Amino acid sequence: MKLKWKDSRFDSQLGRAKGLGATGHGVDHWIHQRITAVANLPLMIWLVWSVVHHVAGASYEEFVAWQAQPLNAILMILSVVSVFYHAALGTQVIAEDYIHNEGLKFFKLIGIKLFFSATAIACVFSILKISFVG
Amino acid sequence: MAQFALPNNSKIKKGDSYNVAKGDAKNKKMFKVYRWNPEKKDEDGKVKNPSIDEYTIDLDSCGPMVLDALIHIKNDVDSTLTFRRSCREGICGSCAMNIDGTNTLACLKPIDEVKGDVKITPLPHMPVVKDLVPDQNHAIAQYNSIEPWMKTDSPAPARERLQSAEDADQLNGHDGHGPAACILCFCCSTSCPSYWWNGDRFLGPATLMQAYRWISDTRDEATGERLDQVEDGFKLYRCHTIMNCTNTCPKGLNPAKSIAEIKKLLAVRK
Repeated sequence: MKLKWKDSRFDSQLGRAKGLGATGHGVDHWIHQRITAVANLPLMIWLVWSVVHHVAGASYEEFVAWQAQPLNAILMILSVVSVFYHAALGTQVIAEDYIHNEGLKFFKLIGIKLFFSATAIACVFSILKISFVG
Repeated sequence: MAQFALPNNSKIKKGDSYNVAKGDAKNKKMFKVYRWNPEKKDEDGKVKNPSIDEYTIDLDSCGPMVLDALIHIKNDVDSTLTFRRSCREGICGSCAMNIDGTNTLACLKPIDEVKGDVKITPLPHMPVVKDLVPDQNHAIAQYNSIEPWMKTDSPAPARERLQSAEDADQLNGHDGHGPAACILCFCCSTSCPSYWWNGDRFLGPATLMQAYRWISDTRDEATGERLDQVEDGFKLYRCHTIMNCTNTCPKGLNPAKSIAEIKKLLAVRK
């Protein structure tokens, strides 16, 4: 895909500045990044506290028993979803900032979404399996 | 991809040295100035690399500001030195350049604020036309793209459109440091790393502050249209609150706050 002003000796400065126009998106990304950032704060405090008090030094059976408790499972799932969603949003920003090859950026942005969706689903599945199956 | 070193033809070489301060001068100062002339070619016909020329002058023979020193150098030392200037009192925005590592107006920057040699380069990350003159076409076109004039649908009244003093404060600021006080020198936009990496699409702090100037104008009737114009991952949301814009503004304005206000309005509208 060639943008009309690229490589043109007779480009219109205003045409180039307007570019392809505004997408009308961005505000959702911005709000979600902030909501997940705020949500991450208590969730990460809980996670660190849990690791120190319940997970560190626990046997396999003890950990499974702890993780299977509904409150722990729910908080763990919330942590995973919030952290991975926040990471997906953040890495998207980094890719948009620094990758200037449009083709590479396109695949990178799709790859980021697929990667974080897949890893989040794997984590949630694992937590549910421990909770329900053990 | 990211480029970590300057291309060969942009590497800065050592240039000429001039010492015009007399031996008994008490107030000597060296100015290291970026020079590049597209018409200066080497034997192969290739444009010569940019260089840093050194001018040692007697500060008693010029005024107190960096611009005074540049004018002294151009008048009395080296008439080929090229820079923009007009009003010499911080209202035209012409003499924006990078002095001692910070974008500012040469006419508002006292020489005695700079410790050691005074290093002067053009505004960062804009194409250089010659010496300290950057090509601002794209930044100005971006400013034009936000349609910086009053837009109204209601019929024109018999007299000027009225605004309360409080509403005017939205634009001018109660201390005179509101968005309408911007002189479009582009010190802020060219200090913004996001504008360096994505200036082709990100509008930059100067233009966004002017967008907010019209969004917040109670007489303007195109607020929604203006918000539509900037609601974009690149045009607006490349701003990551780095705050270089506010730090560097030679007029003491706060572009970062204007951008935050636009983001707040977009979130509220949602």
